[in-house]
Amino acid sequence: MDKTWEVDEANTVKAHFGAFGKKIVAVNGAEVHNSRKMGPKGEIAFSLPDGRSAALSLRKQFIGAPGIDLKVDGNLVVETGKKPIKCAACDTVAKPYDRFCGKCGKPMPTAEDYENRKNVKAATGAIKVLAVVFVIAGIAFFFITKGAADTALVKLEGADPATTYPTPIGGQTYTVGALRKQLAWEPWGVLIVNLIIASIMVALALWGRRSPLPAVLIATATYAVVIAYAAIGDPATLGQGLLMKIIIIAFLIRGIKAALALRTAGA
Amino acid sequence: MRSGTQFCPGCGESLIPSAVAPEHRVASVSRTRFIEHWGELKRVGWLFGLLLATSFVFGIAWRSAHSPWLSVIASAVDAAIVLVAAGLRYRKLLFLFQLRPSGLRDSVVLIAIAFLFVALATAYFWVIEWLGVPMSSATAAYTRAGWPLWSMLLLISAMPAVFEELAFRGVIQSTLERVLNARDAWLIQAALFSVLHLSPLMFPSHFLMGLCFGYMRRRSRSIYPGMLLHACWNALVVLQELPA
Repeated sequence: MDKTWEVDEANTVKAHFGAFGKKIVAVNGAEVHNSRKMGPKGEIAFSLPDGRSAALSLRKQFIGAPGIDLKVDGNLVVETGKKPIKCAACDTVAKPYDRFCGKCGKPMPTAEDYENRKNVKAATGAIKVLAVVFVIAGIAFFFITKGAADTALVKLEGADPATTYPTPIGGQTYTVGALRKQLAWEPWGVLIVNLIIASIMVALALWGRRSPLPAVLIATATYAVVIAYAAIGDPATLGQGLLMKIIIIAFLIRGIKAALALRTAGA
Repeated sequence: MRSGTQFCPGCGESLIPSAVAPEHRVASVSRTRFIEHWGELKRVGWLFGLLLATSFVFGIAWRSAHSPWLSVIASAVDAAIVLVAAGLRYRKLLFLFQLRPSGLRDSVVLIAIAFLFVALATAYFWVIEWLGVPMSSATAAYTRAGWPLWSMLLLISAMPAVFEELAFRGVIQSTLERVLNARDAWLIQAALFSVLHLSPLMFPSHFLMGLCFGYMRRRSRSIYPGMLLHACWNALVVLQELPA
């Protein structure tokens, strides 16, 4: 993993974090760190040629490689990306260390803003993943439920629709006719419910591009409700895919925080 | 300095006298504002989470015993949660409990919304019924247990109307308006209201309800019109379900 930070016009920091733990840090081409170990506090501390203190630190992620942050005098530095940074107001190309656009004077996003945008993107990404999961689950459960319902309907064949079914189901007593109707509806209900939730998630993912905070808030609430709804039907579902549920909720909550930070910063 | 630069990229200061001053001088990330808003969102989260937890526990209990007493307990717990949440923000919600004389135009709009809501909600449930979707009955447990009509009207119609309006159009909408703009707060409270009913098939109809009640609260700056319409709608559902 290679990263570059243009700290200012005179200083550039480059970091190479190898797959086997090798960590090389160079300032303006001169190596300042070459070791597998991190320094105390999990940081690689060094000084810039002008005497300012700098530190590289690893930021753990839920999924994938950790992020690397560079702080100079305690302030996060914007990473130099592959694409040039442009002013959102006038589209002028700016340097990563510019705090204001040189053409229109509008404030440029800070490193924290970029980090928050990344988290918001991850949260809207999680909403898209949920939409796909609900479509797949809807189709899969439709066929599973249909198979089970068809088997149950065969067993009820020939029974008088007006007679009461002897065993209560879910604490409720049904007539054979009502039970047949319920069984015929069951697979379609599962499919429709999943498709409704999937379409809500798609709508929220699209809305999230313009208004991330409300979209992620609603998605989080909807997902929590869906988990509760499924658990009421079958409490065992609460533990199914627990790690995945926790990761998705963590992404969404982090997205809410990031979207709120961007909103309050006016970025 | 790079060519074409009119403002200092470091401090935003104008480099040529004729340059128009930038709108935003300093990118001040207000940490205090973030903490305050995050606190408001957490309060909404707590209220929503507690109401969801009550519905969850009630739903689990309902699987084993279809007793109206469970509804009574759930309603009482929900009412207590909402009252505490509203009590903690009483001063900020006070304006919602004031009766103001509304103008003719506002009254006409509120009545029109009420009729539009009843028409749309009726059409939605008619379509659901026409599609053959089995619907759970709100009154079945009460009639089976032989409870009188007034108890159904109180527990299904009046209590949810009062406490749901207080929770969603009162605490949640008002709190969100402090963090977001009025439109976003309106949409979010409607979405939370719809999903908290724990029935995906009812999401669209209850989202519509949330939008109507929320708009009435915004228009009238009072939760009473929404409460009245909510209670009337619930009463209509109860009376429609009961045998003649």
